[in-house]
Amino acid sequence: MSLVTELILNADSESRYPAPKELRIFQDFLKSGEQRIRIASVLAQNEQNIVQTASARFWERCPVTPSNSGNPRKTASCQRDQGWYVRLVAYCILAGSEQPLVEIGTLGIKEMYTSLEIPLRNIVECMKCVKEESIAVLAPEDAIEVAPYFDYIIRALS
Amino acid sequence: MQDAITSLINTSDVQGRYLDDSGLERLTAYFHSGELRARSALSISANANTLVTQAVAKSLMYTDITAPGGNMYTCRRYAACIRDMDYFLRYATYAMLAGDVSILDERILNGLRETYNSLGVPISATIRAVQSLKEVTADLVGADAGKEMGRYFDHICAGLS
Repeated sequence: MSLVTELILNADSESRYPAPKELRIFQDFLKSGEQRIRIASVLAQNEQNIVQTASARFWERCPVTPSNSGNPRKTASCQRDQGWYVRLVAYCILAGSEQPLVEIGTLGIKEMYTSLEIPLRNIVECMKCVKEESIAVLAPEDAIEVAPYFDYIIRALS
Repeated sequence: MQDAITSLINTSDVQGRYLDDSGLERLTAYFHSGELRARSALSISANANTLVTQAVAKSLMYTDITAPGGNMYTCRRYAACIRDMDYFLRYATYAMLAGDVSILDERILNGLRETYNSLGVPISATIRAVQSLKEVTADLVGADAGKEMGRYFDHICAGLS
């Protein structure tokens, strides 16, 4: 689901054409496309780097956690998930909506990590680190677009 | 339904990837077409009734279909026909804004041919009417936007035949 789909489904639920105001929102959204593509590309190019520095920061703040226990499989899974969330945030940036995140990565997130016996508090801390490192690779005007989606993940965990 | 953005996201996600270069290129083209799409939707929505009237006049009104025994004879059937034409135009406009045909499949075309067959609605006349709708819409919105709208009208015709 993107801003575009949302707007169309809204109009369709009332059997009408999109209103002028909605079309203006649509047009403004598409106009910001260049910035969205730039942000998504920077996140894609820096994903590995973000994950490495975020992990280091996370283990510093939260040393007793499965990914820091010396079990390479747990470390790899944790870092894989961090990378996935960076990718989902990049999707959200392109879609102008948190729906890709919801559909793929936050519905059931608490249940999943709980059943994996990973303390939610640790995941929250980890996501905060991923957020901080993602913001660090972006220009300030791009960083403010990205932060709310990470906050959304953090909220979904608490 | 999908749109030009989410269809790319969905195909990338099943592979666990970011959008590739060709995907980003398609997205850039879509983002650049925003003004054209919004302007066309605005003008179609302001002229929707006229477009349907013109398309019906062009393709159906003066044929046997509106005479006694025809499938558009009786006001009730006539009204049902123009209601469907309204739907086709509105959903083609949604699809044009989305830059994707999936909403047509999901909300219009699934089961439509079977419904028309069971109601005795002639498919060939319906296709002719949709083609007229395509022509009068292109006259209104201009060549570029008309060509893009044409893609979705053609998809409706292909789904009916």
